[in-house]
Amino acid sequence: MSHIAIGPNWPARLALAGLSLAALVVAIALAVTVGEMPIPLGVAFRALGNGLFGLGYPVSAIQQGVIFEYRLSRALMAALCGGALALSGAILQALLRNPLAEPYILGVSAGASTGAVAVMILGFGGATLGLSGGAFLGSVAALVLVGLLAAGAGGASDRVILAGVAGSQLFNAATATIVTTMASAEQARGVMFWLLGNFGGVRWPDLAVAAPVALLGFLVCMVHAKALDAFAFGADAAASLGIHVTRVRLVLLATTALLTATMVAIVGTVGFVGLVIPHAARFLVGPGHARLLPACLVIGAVFMILADVLSRILVPQQILPIGIVTALVGAPAFALILYRARRPA
Amino acid sequence: MLNTTSHLLRRSAQGLAVALGLLASAGLTEALAGTTYPLTLENCGSKVVIDHAPKRVVSIGQAQTEILYALGLGDRVVASALWFGPVAKPYETVNAGVKRLADNDPSFEAVVGQEPDLVVAMYEWHIGPNGIVGKRERFDAVKVPVYVSPTDCVGKDNSGAGDGVRTQMYSTELLYRNILEYGAIFDVSDRAEALVARLKAREAEAARTVATLNGKDVSMALWFSSKEIKGDAFLAGKNGVPAYVMEQLGIRNIITTQEEWPLVGWETIAANDPDVLVLVKMDRRRFPADDIDAKLAFLKTDPVASQLSAVKNGRIVIVDVAATRPGMDTVDGLEAIATAVQGFGLVH
Repeated sequence: MSHIAIGPNWPARLALAGLSLAALVVAIALAVTVGEMPIPLGVAFRALGNGLFGLGYPVSAIQQGVIFEYRLSRALMAALCGGALALSGAILQALLRNPLAEPYILGVSAGASTGAVAVMILGFGGATLGLSGGAFLGSVAALVLVGLLAAGAGGASDRVILAGVAGSQLFNAATATIVTTMASAEQARGVMFWLLGNFGGVRWPDLAVAAPVALLGFLVCMVHAKALDAFAFGADAAASLGIHVTRVRLVLLATTALLTATMVAIVGTVGFVGLVIPHAARFLVGPGHARLLPACLVIGAVFMILADVLSRILVPQQILPIGIVTALVGAPAFALILYRARRPA
Repeated sequence: MLNTTSHLLRRSAQGLAVALGLLASAGLTEALAGTTYPLTLENCGSKVVIDHAPKRVVSIGQAQTEILYALGLGDRVVASALWFGPVAKPYETVNAGVKRLADNDPSFEAVVGQEPDLVVAMYEWHIGPNGIVGKRERFDAVKVPVYVSPTDCVGKDNSGAGDGVRTQMYSTELLYRNILEYGAIFDVSDRAEALVARLKAREAEAARTVATLNGKDVSMALWFSSKEIKGDAFLAGKNGVPAYVMEQLGIRNIITTQEEWPLVGWETIAANDPDVLVLVKMDRRRFPADDIDAKLAFLKTDPVASQLSAVKNGRIVIVDVAATRPGMDTVDGLEAIATAVQGFGLVH
């Protein structure tokens, strides 16, 4: 673990870590205090105290609920989701040596929609499975298929992407078939709508699932930070450095798959974050994964929290799908980063 | 007691209207209302020419099919499609004799294969600029006239995805225009006028029920469904059918966006704290919150929703989904909400 230990320039790193944490706290504070219902700052803090430490301040039940049950759980979920997607993107881009790789390339979102539609329309699994359960199983099914396809094709990085494209198309077709042949007039319209991603239904029990998965995923990735650095020079180079290429690839693919499937099952598909945040992070902290991965986690988290705040307040009385906001805000931000990092001709 | 009396009165009024309708169909009043063919109509921005009273109609959309039945034209309907729920009770017999092309969207060929001399549709997304059954030109090409309900195209923009955006508030005047145009098309104007008069009388009666609200600010939200039970809710927008119902009853809709069914967070609902909450009951099971029991359970258990004054004071009305769509059922919804609101004691 020496690669994540504190190195010679530890004051700078410590400052950076402190800064990241501060940014995260500020973003969460913003998310908790901004919303359609005007709640004074003091009341918000008291509600947080009540919820987190059971302090028993007198706060109206409605304000207590909005601050603690709605806004805080939602902000934390946005943080976990943004962090996990950005982390997955960074891993896939290194592993597949493709700057356009992103978490959904593995067929996760296509599989999730098939699973969700199977539950919604065919009634598969009934009440016990639920929408999220169906989405998760669908994701895993798609991943297994894509994995088998890729392995059967030799497992090279470009094959993984091709297998992902083929798998996604297959699952999208399955979804379309179910929708067009089985759904009623009402069901057929906008059945995919929930997949646009939304934090509206997030409550504390969702966090109990998402938080351990995200933490575990992060730790697994950090352990492999050095191996990921080696992958930058290709699988052969990594092998010559004594890295078990197949094993590392399998472990990391499975980890990103688990991270992405969990997030898709809970909040739906949120585009852009997994693709763009790793590039933004690379511009800021360089390509070394020991620093890149934590940076992705923090930047992804802050970005998603802020995007979610915007999705709640951009249009009064109406919620915008989070995916629209991430692209709307993320694309220009990314363009700016690209421009500032341009190489002299 | 009062209720029973008014019910009886309404029943006998309906009986009278039916009798009048029968007289009319017997040709006794033919001199009053004769359609001269060919009849040219402006319909959803297009011109429709009807050469003769149609005898073979394909109807796409439950509300349109039921209007045709109500006008006693069941024998002219050769096929139907797009059913949201069971046919309304009075039309069960006549509907049993009508072929059902599809529960949902019929194909173009299935429709024209019936050799219809008129195709009617409830929604532009079936027949219109982006019609999934067919564009108007496609029907023109096979010389089949099409009629799309004005309830879906007047003051409504269907060019985007989703349920469309109403730029003007819906009004049952569109429904009445729809019915009267059927009267002209099928040469049964007297029946159409009688039906419209009946529906108008019921609307006026419902408005009278709550007339005593008298400028009092009573607010309301209508919850259709949600993609996840705890997630953001689809509420009735400011110009749709439910908004019209609220306006007729002098009730304020808390939602002010033009979208037909905007997605609204519960925090927003709590911030506006409506006096009355209307829940929609439906057979559809696309989303968990389609289930009325799931909606009620959420309202009871959610830390914020359970604190809404409508929930705490039990001011919850349940209406059938048909009442939220343009059609004769709108009037049922209007009556149900008026009666319920009166019972909540908001009326002095």
